[in-house]
Amino acid sequence: MALFHLGLSTSGHDPALAIVDADGKLVFAEATERFLQDKRAWGIAPDHVPHLEAALKQVGFDFGSDSLAVATSWKKIKAELPVELMGELLPVTDARWLRELHAGINTHAGASLLRLGIVQQMPEVRRYDHHLCHAATACAFAPVDTASCLIVDGEGEAGAVSMFDLRGRELQRRWRSWGPGSLGTLYAWLTQLCGFDWRLGEEWKVMGLAAYGTARPEIRDALVALLEVDEGRLRFADKERLADLVARIRQFARPADAPLMSAADLAASGQAAYAALADRILSGIADGSEGNLVLGGGCALNSSYNGTIAGRMPFDRLFVPPAPADDGNAVGAALLSWMETAKTSRVPALPATPYLGSVAGKDALARLENLSGIARVSDVSANSEDRVAALLAEGKIVGVMRGRAEFGPRALGNRSILADPRPADMKDRINRLVKGREPYRPFAPVLCEEDVADWFERAQPSPYMSITLHWREAMARQVPAVVHADGTGRLQTVSSSSAPWMHTLVRRFGERTGVPVVLNTSFNIMGKPIVHSVEDALAVFMTSGLDAVLIEDLLIEKTAAS
Amino acid sequence: MSDIDESQFFSFLRDRVAQRTKTEADAIGMDMSLADLGLQSIDAVLVCGEVEDRFGVEVDPADIFEHDTLGEFARAILKRAGA
Repeated sequence: MALFHLGLSTSGHDPALAIVDADGKLVFAEATERFLQDKRAWGIAPDHVPHLEAALKQVGFDFGSDSLAVATSWKKIKAELPVELMGELLPVTDARWLRELHAGINTHAGASLLRLGIVQQMPEVRRYDHHLCHAATACAFAPVDTASCLIVDGEGEAGAVSMFDLRGRELQRRWRSWGPGSLGTLYAWLTQLCGFDWRLGEEWKVMGLAAYGTARPEIRDALVALLEVDEGRLRFADKERLADLVARIRQFARPADAPLMSAADLAASGQAAYAALADRILSGIADGSEGNLVLGGGCALNSSYNGTIAGRMPFDRLFVPPAPADDGNAVGAALLSWMETAKTSRVPALPATPYLGSVAGKDALARLENLSGIARVSDVSANSEDRVAALLAEGKIVGVMRGRAEFGPRALGNRSILADPRPADMKDRINRLVKGREPYRPFAPVLCEEDVADWFERAQPSPYMSITLHWREAMARQVPAVVHADGTGRLQTVSSSSAPWMHTLVRRFGERTGVPVVLNTSFNIMGKPIVHSVEDALAVFMTSGLDAVLIEDLLIEKTAAS
Repeated sequence: MSDIDESQFFSFLRDRVAQRTKTEADAIGMDMSLADLGLQSIDAVLVCGEVEDRFGVEVDPADIFEHDTLGEFARAILKRAGA
């Protein structure tokens, strides 16, 4: 007879669901795209029936006696606000399309409970402020009682920035921005100007490309001038000025047929403009924070900028949750629903783990033995870390699918492709054989938390791969495959308590090679989400140049004949 | 959230609307609709934000559109602030 809380990310893009149990424990969180294997799952219900059913079964929900409160990550339907859409930067058709998806998903949220027999009538839905959901998620993963919590994204209920104070685990909004002024929109437009597509989530590519360019003052300053920062609140410049600036900046856009690197200066200038504007917001919000900044919203995925905050801006520590963008809001909505029921205003502090998603299906695991005709299948439960470390040290590329899937955009060792970062050609090999990514995009390193200061300048923990730091020069030479063009790396740090398997693996690899650093990239092929099922993992294994996959305790290696 | 002084609030609203519609505050009547005022919807939203910031009362972006006149919107906000 327990009451569970189902949090739904209802933005229309990046749907996700999260489940909090009656004790306020987050027992499940996963993006819909993983289940469907459809990147960003635009327009799909976050309570997509088979996904929700599988999640409820995994957490032990009793369909006969337990009940489920449904919570969404938006309070209001955007389309109902009679405001003309701004078309100066992104096409108005994109905004209209998104509003349609948003309206549909928020209207139908919870309908799946009817199909699953959990309710007899359309359930009452608890609807929470979009930025409050971001803040609840971000603070839930931050192990501090006091902080400034800043949410920066494309758009919220009123505007695209909200600033909250976290005091004694209670969240109180200090102010929020109103109107369309938005760093998220600015970055999405920059993505288009560089010849990429924000709808495909290609903001990453801008960040990656920026390392190859030089920020040009005439581009950077024009981009900065698009937005006015008034005590943290963002406003776009007035119509005439905006049109003038847009025309000026458009001259630097990369035409579809121009070489990629011709957009490198634009990308670098855009990243510099983002940093200048974000600095202005951050500079005024530190009072009372005890040096702690909790960052959420899609802009908190800007790892290049994130790595520059602690110590330079008026904060000593930065906390970014594993899923700061809209997928992560499912967690915030579920927690806010639990808090409402429990009549508490304190945001629970969650265990520091991103491993909150699905496990490999038992039946599928049992069938893996059938591969023995075409691949070598070994039970390595006694020493899987050592076996994988040995393969990596031999230059093999290994897919790993162990335990629960990560929540958020990053593969953090449970759905990862791992490799040796020492060979200079490893990046090209992985791209050629497995990932098919553009050659300029960097791969990430994973290190033991206690080693970070040996390898990086301005060392800080980065358990969810949220920040980019500069490699120490002498060390960078040892791991060329994970050093970006500007000498940085977007690192994941692992501790023996939070990620024991990866921690041991990195140690074993270090013992064999003298270099305790492993290349870690997401277990997918370009354009597809990270693998979800055992069959997804095997499909990548069989159709790519992966040398081996570790699925739970079974190591599957290609044999010479296969 | 504390009570808001009514005349101070009305005068603030008239000022902000006047600034956005580029008219004189004296020309802004509390019985006027958004259309009478010539207030664009985006500017109406921004005025809501200024009210929230200045008086520390939570305003929903849709609030201003759900009332026929500026005065009705203002009274709804005052009522909420006093609640």
